[in-house]
Amino acid sequence: MRITTRKALVPLVALALFGAACTSDDGDDATTDAPADTEAPADTEAPADTEAPADTEAPDDTVEVVQGDGSTLQAVQDAGVLRCGTRDALPGFAVLTEDGDHVGFDSDFCRVIAAAVLGDAEAVEHVDLETADRFTALQSGEIDVLVRNTTWTASRDGTEGATFLTTTFYDGQGIMVGADSGFETITDLDGVIVCVAQGTTTEGNAANEAARLGLDWEVRAFESTDLIQEAFIAGQCDAWSSDRSQLVALRSEFPDGPEALAILPETFSKEPLAPAVADGDTEWAQAVNWAILSTIQAEEFGIDSTNVDTFSDTTDPSIQRFLGLEVEGDDGAAVLDPGLGLPTDFAAQVVSQVGNYGEIFEAHLAPLGLERGLNSLWNEGGLLYSPPYR
Amino acid sequence: MTGVVSARVPLWRDVRVLKWALQLAVVGLVAALLVWLYGNYVENTAEQNIPTDLGFLDNPANFQITGNPLSQNAPVRDALYEGLLNTLRISVVGVVAATLLGTIIGIARLSKNWLVSKLAAVYVEAVRNVPLALFLVAGLLVVVLGVFPTIQEAWDLGGLVIVSNRGVAVPWFDGAGYGLLMFALVGVVTGLAVARWRRSVSDRTGALARSGLWAGGALLLVMTIGWFAFGYSWTLPELDGRRTVGGMRVDPSFFALFFALVIYTASHIAEIVRGSIQAVPRGQGEAADAVALSGFQRMWYVVLPQAFRIAIPPIGNQYLNLIKNSSLGAAIGYYDITLVAQTTVGNGSPAVPVFTLTMLLYISISLVTSVIVNYANRRMALVER
Repeated sequence: MRITTRKALVPLVALALFGAACTSDDGDDATTDAPADTEAPADTEAPADTEAPADTEAPDDTVEVVQGDGSTLQAVQDAGVLRCGTRDALPGFAVLTEDGDHVGFDSDFCRVIAAAVLGDAEAVEHVDLETADRFTALQSGEIDVLVRNTTWTASRDGTEGATFLTTTFYDGQGIMVGADSGFETITDLDGVIVCVAQGTTTEGNAANEAARLGLDWEVRAFESTDLIQEAFIAGQCDAWSSDRSQLVALRSEFPDGPEALAILPETFSKEPLAPAVADGDTEWAQAVNWAILSTIQAEEFGIDSTNVDTFSDTTDPSIQRFLGLEVEGDDGAAVLDPGLGLPTDFAAQVVSQVGNYGEIFEAHLAPLGLERGLNSLWNEGGLLYSPPYR
Repeated sequence: MTGVVSARVPLWRDVRVLKWALQLAVVGLVAALLVWLYGNYVENTAEQNIPTDLGFLDNPANFQITGNPLSQNAPVRDALYEGLLNTLRISVVGVVAATLLGTIIGIARLSKNWLVSKLAAVYVEAVRNVPLALFLVAGLLVVVLGVFPTIQEAWDLGGLVIVSNRGVAVPWFDGAGYGLLMFALVGVVTGLAVARWRRSVSDRTGALARSGLWAGGALLLVMTIGWFAFGYSWTLPELDGRRTVGGMRVDPSFFALFFALVIYTASHIAEIVRGSIQAVPRGQGEAADAVALSGFQRMWYVVLPQAFRIAIPPIGNQYLNLIKNSSLGAAIGYYDITLVAQTTVGNGSPAVPVFTLTMLLYISISLVTSVIVNYANRRMALVER
């Protein structure tokens, strides 16, 4: 029905061209997708999985098979550039420098994904998004992946058409006041105006927390953190609430100096910040997920950007598998291809071009005064845990 | 006989048939385009598991509307409703204020006083050539955050008005609700009736109607009766720590948006008023002078009624512009329907239904405004006959 109407329309209505330009791509994909999606992986990838150790050319075969179905992974590899939704002015996470570079924790995870998928950490187009626009950008395919300190929640997973992946930063909401305000704990804040960013989980959390503690807060939302800062300096806000990592970052850049602000000790929500991709493309989600996980696994192995080359003659089979080196097996030496659609050496590319999780954290977040805390490896008391790469 | 005629003009050369066929074809194509776009939308959202129904309206909104007691747990439906009310509030107040300011400035541009006319000209040229969004941000950053004091140093204007960057608090009716509003409506209706009566008296006796004064007096009288009959009182704003209590607090975002919309729209209305006054034949003013009307009377009874007949349709357009421009308030945190829609989409409501609903609401507001303006236009046109 849809196909016939399109065939009838395209030659007839010049007006339809605009609409067609926006949607016919999707339409074409949808019509060709259906057979490719269901048949290609079932027929050709399954054997590739089992035979991979014996056949070193398996990865090339897999890639060619995938080329048929026009998935996001293939589209990104064809374009040679990853469109990564991020922001331009959150110190430590993503800042657009005067030279036009995006620097920060989130920006580096964009690079991690590009290094894994494309083998080039700089093949990233950083797309600056406002908070309220980010999911629309993801749904419409304007970006391939969203790495924009976004909290993973059930309703975002469910109704925003987003699939959240491994958390890159475990955060919690806190509250910041003027150092000379006299507020010591959260319960001192009664009858105050609390300023937050529009369209964030922070907005609802603050209202819920005030209700829970029986405090009278007026929650006032602003479009951008710049505006909150203006309002805070002018005295329109008594307190500023956001994820603690953001508060630390904003405090470090405060015009009157960080000592003019104090962050109260209470943390009142769970804010796992995770990258997200659009629903409905499992292959792409898995590829991005393993790119992120490789930074955690690398840190666990003690592999970083400075020493990754020295592991080329390692004898530890799990490290050999991880770095895409040949592993001695019963049928001779072979490279592990887990069938993710990524190059077999993607982890080595990620670590050598960007670094492991600890390096990324040290480079961007430690200078702000953030502790590793929950964002330590599982064997060091944190929550970072990568499933085994085998 | 008829059979012969129809055989001579075949169907495909019958002009009437061709006209109908063409129109049907165009309608069919447009309908097919819409069906096709809708089909694509449904399929693409289904692929991403995004709901397309209106069930989201019952989900908790999970955000608070600044200056509104609505809980964050209230459903999205209620939040959208409050947003709609905020859009209507700024529109009604803005339309009234912009009309008054625009008319005064339009008349001032034609003043014989050099200073007054030049000041009005500078105002119009300066304001209508600057983007509205700039006025908005200036209203917030320069006026509210730059000029207004902090709550600790708030300006207390005779105990009546308290100005700070957390809002402008003014005296307001205590417990005022729909009861008082009803009395205001009764007062307006009474005022209109009184004005009508005065005009008929004027027609019979030739005495000056002064219908405006009479109508205003009637309105005041009804309001005063209602006031005492129902025991309304009013409260003054007071400073209480970091807040003001009592009275009514006008939010800074409302203030900045109001300021920007009125200043901007008034400059356009002023030009319409000026042009309309100049379009009234010169002889009308001269005739008014000849029967020794004063300057005000000449304007009020002779020139303006004729000028407004010309001005109503273009001013109506400016009203529609003002209503639609109020959506720019989203940029400065005024929770109108647009900002509520944006926020709720950011919080998990599906974008397409939310924005479709928002667009329908704007269309409804605009159509109702057009109906009112057209009604006024017809009434004014009849007066001339």
